[in-house]
Amino acid sequence: MAYMVDNLVQPNISSVASNLGPDWLSSEQSTGTSIMACEFDGGVVIGADSRATTGAYISNRFADKLTKITDYIYCCRSGSAADTQAISDIVAYHLSLHKMELGMEPLVETAANVFRELCYNYRDSLMAGILVAGWDSRKGGQVYSIPLGGMCVRQPISIGGSGSTYVYGYMDSQYKPNMSRDECVKLVENTLALAMSRDGSSGGVIRIGVITEKGAERKVILGNELPQFYEG
Amino acid sequence: MALLSENLRRSLPDYKTQATKMKSFSPYADNGGSVIALAGDDFCVIAADTRLSTGFSIYTREQQKLFPLSSKTILGCSGCWCDTLTLTRLLIARMQMYEHEHQKEMPTLAVAQMLSTMLYYKRFFPYYVSNILGGLDEDGKGCVYSYDPIGHCEVTKYRAGGSAGALLQPLLDNQIGYKNQEGVEPVPLTQEKAVAIIKDVFTSAAERDIYTGDSINIKIITKDGVQDSTFELRKD
Amino acid sequence: MSSVLVPEIPAPGFSFDLCQRNNFLVKKGFQAPKAVKTGTTIAGVVYKDGVVLGGDTRSTENTIVADKNCSKIHYLTENIYCCGAGTAADTEMTTMISSQLELHHLNTNRIVPVCTANAMIKQLLFRYQGNIGAALILGGVDLDGPHLYCIYPHGSSDRHLYTSMGTGSLAAMAVFESRWKPDMTEEEAKELVADAIRAGVFNDLASGSNVDLCVIRKGSVDYLRPYDIANVKGQRNISYRYKRGTTAVLNKIVHPIIIEGETVRRLETEPMDTSS
Repeated sequence: MAYMVDNLVQPNISSVASNLGPDWLSSEQSTGTSIMACEFDGGVVIGADSRATTGAYISNRFADKLTKITDYIYCCRSGSAADTQAISDIVAYHLSLHKMELGMEPLVETAANVFRELCYNYRDSLMAGILVAGWDSRKGGQVYSIPLGGMCVRQPISIGGSGSTYVYGYMDSQYKPNMSRDECVKLVENTLALAMSRDGSSGGVIRIGVITEKGAERKVILGNELPQFYEG
Repeated sequence: MALLSENLRRSLPDYKTQATKMKSFSPYADNGGSVIALAGDDFCVIAADTRLSTGFSIYTREQQKLFPLSSKTILGCSGCWCDTLTLTRLLIARMQMYEHEHQKEMPTLAVAQMLSTMLYYKRFFPYYVSNILGGLDEDGKGCVYSYDPIGHCEVTKYRAGGSAGALLQPLLDNQIGYKNQEGVEPVPLTQEKAVAIIKDVFTSAAERDIYTGDSINIKIITKDGVQDSTFELRKD
Repeated sequence: MSSVLVPEIPAPGFSFDLCQRNNFLVKKGFQAPKAVKTGTTIAGVVYKDGVVLGGDTRSTENTIVADKNCSKIHYLTENIYCCGAGTAADTEMTTMISSQLELHHLNTNRIVPVCTANAMIKQLLFRYQGNIGAALILGGVDLDGPHLYCIYPHGSSDRHLYTSMGTGSLAAMAVFESRWKPDMTEEEAKELVADAIRAGVFNDLASGSNVDLCVIRKGSVDYLRPYDIANVKGQRNISYRYKRGTTAVLNKIVHPIIIEGETVRRLETEPMDTSS
């Protein structure tokens, strides 16, 4: 009898077990991210950090957020890992079919519009911010940004993900039209390094990809080789 | 990106991380642990496991949960450890005050009553502690007092409490209380049997209760003093 | 085809018939029962020529241990196994992909690629938007060598060389991050995974009991269950046998069996019809 009172007094105690686990147990895996893409004459440079988190736990410290769609088109993913992986798998499927029908490499614009179609139609249930970048023979290197609501816009340079908010100013100040390939790579490296040092949900290594007429070339900048800046 | 931040049916603002979010604050924690006390004719055995834990993790594997209040009285506590610490600190202080005032140790019955009063004093913000008090009464017979968090007190011969209380108590009911046994003549509890049963029920409880394990601390109170021993349990 | 005697075969997939009723009951204050969650430590490592998967064997229902020796490494195909954490029923459900993979194997007459299993599982999980609470570690060896994937309930997956999941994943990952190195031998890999699981078993309350391992190489599999009995059950001090008659008999009714008649029917064995 005595213990009957117990639950009345402390309604929160009886359900201790219901909040036993820490947040990373129930959280969705997400790529709280810094991603970037930049056009240059003859191609594009793409870059991303490598951190994937579930809640406060880093579930993957060497994640690959630069996802291949076709040989000449890549996308940088940010938002929910599940949503963005599913979307890029579907787009890759559509484009490979399209490539066979077309008999040539799909246009980057086409890829971006397939992404946009999915992101816009399912905007209520998706959490995906994607940068589509690639090279085609018609328009050369191109970058399309498809942020959360499913808009699609071509930009000569674009950043995305949670880390992007810290470095818009840097990007705006450093960007010059008609940069060379190496200048673009350096700008992407620096911007991402700055974003990663300020944003808690970005980090790890920087993955860089350069897509030109010759296809995609990839490299990794390890954590101890990142460009150093003032860290106050 | 800014115009998209107010959202959507799933109400996820853009790139929100779940990292730093406080859902609610509870003044209580459940640190688990189980206590058992058995009373015989001229002794009392009280035992508690030594695991202190929260959620899915262990704070320590060697936490004493038995508090000797006098030479004839021992208190076993489990539940919210911070409340246990506060409660026992106050109890020990009150014991000392009594001793200075009356020039004698407080008898077990009085300790039992005082504990009840102290718990009920906090009726509307209780100590979240499951208390079991074991000792010898003024005739030298073993006695056990068990409490709910707000001061209800009950005298018994055997009692289990804490996270595995519900697992331990039925075994004691059957083995010591001779409940649900037909035609079995109750024999007075011996010290050896009491200790053996305590070890066995804790071994069993450690199999099924995640908050009970590591080892148990057993204290046997007799007129000659308190005998202390430990017994290992599983560590997972 | 519906009749009392021949029940209709239910449509494939989940039945959502009772959702409306249950929501109504919850609104009225009914507490819905919780599913068994296997608070778990599972882990996997890629070594020189294969994959080692590992898991503990405890499954819990809140703070009570529901199963002391459950198996968390599931068979998918001859060359692919899968460790499951999360809701117990869901992790077992996911392994029903096994039959689809077997069909795939029979159709293509090739060793099933691990990425196929990965794609099938992640697509299934994504369809259910995280409502199937299965966190999986998928490991296997195919023509491209050993592979290890980590699949989350919402349907995302990553490739890893070493990974852990479940409530004990932090303890296990701590072991990996300090001791993992590329191109380990089989023995090293087994010991590393076993140590990672042991870290979960001892430091995570929801994981416990034994350590199971599964070693997948090209062409052969070792399913070691248990690999290590990390915790030995304590011995009882006294016997708890009851004397005969301890259980109370409240009343007793005897019904004699009345034999009304006896007939013998002989069954002839017929040869199997192999004409067609």
